[in-house]
Amino acid sequence: MTTGALIFAFNNEKTDYVQMAAWSAERIRRYLNIPVAVVTDATDAGLHQQFEKVIFAGAETGGSRYFEDYADTVSWHNAGRTNAYRLSPFDQTLVLDSDYVVCSDQLKAVLNAPQDFLAHRTAFNVAWPADPFLDTFGRNQFPMWWATVMMFRKSATAQYIFDAMTMIKSHWQHYRTLYGITEKNYRNDYALSIALGIVSGHTLKVDSIPWPICSVMPDTELSLMSADPELWQFKYAGTDGKPKSVGIAGQDFHAMGKKHLEAVIEAC
Amino acid sequence: MKPVEERGYIIPAFNVGSVDYVDCARHLAKTLLMHHPDARICLLTNQADAVDHNLFAYTHVVEDIDKTNPWANDWLVFHHTPFRQTIKLEADMMVASKIDHWWPMFEHRDVVISQGCRTFYDTPAVSRKYRKLFDVNGLPDVYNAVTYWRLSKTAQEFFKLVREIFSNWQCYKTLLKFPEEVPSTDVVYAMAAQIMGPDTVTLPKHTGPQIVHMKSGINPFSSAKWTDELVWEYNPMRIQTVAQWGLVHLNVKDWHHE
Repeated sequence: MTTGALIFAFNNEKTDYVQMAAWSAERIRRYLNIPVAVVTDATDAGLHQQFEKVIFAGAETGGSRYFEDYADTVSWHNAGRTNAYRLSPFDQTLVLDSDYVVCSDQLKAVLNAPQDFLAHRTAFNVAWPADPFLDTFGRNQFPMWWATVMMFRKSATAQYIFDAMTMIKSHWQHYRTLYGITEKNYRNDYALSIALGIVSGHTLKVDSIPWPICSVMPDTELSLMSADPELWQFKYAGTDGKPKSVGIAGQDFHAMGKKHLEAVIEAC
Repeated sequence: MKPVEERGYIIPAFNVGSVDYVDCARHLAKTLLMHHPDARICLLTNQADAVDHNLFAYTHVVEDIDKTNPWANDWLVFHHTPFRQTIKLEADMMVASKIDHWWPMFEHRDVVISQGCRTFYDTPAVSRKYRKLFDVNGLPDVYNAVTYWRLSKTAQEFFKLVREIFSNWQCYKTLLKFPEEVPSTDVVYAMAAQIMGPDTVTLPKHTGPQIVHMKSGINPFSSAKWTDELVWEYNPMRIQTVAQWGLVHLNVKDWHHE
């Protein structure tokens, strides 16, 4: 059985997602010891040196989105994620956002889990870990699963989930209305959550990755304090407006603001 | 009355106000029979024309009831059940799945009152909006909506207490901080449970049945009438696409007419 990571990387006017994916790929190999495939529309000659497998696909836009760290609205080519099942060259796949920073081998536990599909059900903001954080969506607070990290095996269950996500994406306006979603843009997290609801027989009894994603919001500045041992620092404003910071090591995180992560990658 | 059958359900439905509880009871019985065609159901009512042999194996009509507070007639269920083991169900609910696994869970006890409730997402209700009186008085978090008893001294004592508390509310309410003027069945059951010892009449919380309570303070919807806001399907019952199981307390009494 083959196991590998799959990253979708489609550059937009602000972010070089391919470069971010290449940087992530190196970390994935280091900590998880698995090959990495990239799905992209980029045609750089060096891609085959950076990834074990390059899968060319057209960018599917999910619309445009305002990013606080860029203070600008940028195109968001994220809608192709539903094709992960069809495109993955592996028997077991770990789909990761290119801005998910692997800093440990904790995802090995996910790869060793017996389930055919796993994703995160909960997340926390590294700056305010005790506060509620994006656990639900829509008018009636439907429970949210995160599409940031998805592990699946080629199996009927996983196929049903991705087929359901494709259906939801194709009828996005209908599902927006049904779940009272105010955002106009298609969002993978919402589609995944709705799909898991459907595939669970509408029971919402879904096995999930048993820990929350550590999330770094766009208004939190991240930097790499030391490379060996690796120590990350997150700076943010406290409730009193005064600067605060927290440092972590050996903990994966989701860098939701791309600008600071790009700066770290540039410096590496 | 002397029991004539071993197990069955009793639904009290006293019509004294604008809500037609007999109609609610008919609907509840229909949904119960949908999942358990052999279920034996007794309707306890003050409405003489409520007999429906297709739904109710027994219809006990008691016309001489307390009309000032219809809930105060609850104790009658103990005296009118034709069953040795009875599950009382509040009328304004519907059965969304099989519930006969409750019998073997209950039968080791004399009395079991359900504790806590759930949201339509099948998560434990965390809001205490409607339970402040219980919290401030340290009362057990019981819901009379599902109550089991077997013919026993314990059950006899429990319902005797329920009757006494309802009948002497002006005295009993002095025991409480911020009491209700008109006692609700849940508060009276909680007081009776407290007097007898909660462990005597409940199972450990979250092990016994819990109703889905469709009140707006418990669930994430903004309309007072959830049927105006959420998408719902009848059979199988889903609310906002989420499959329901167990008992669903509708809160909207005429839901089944919509």
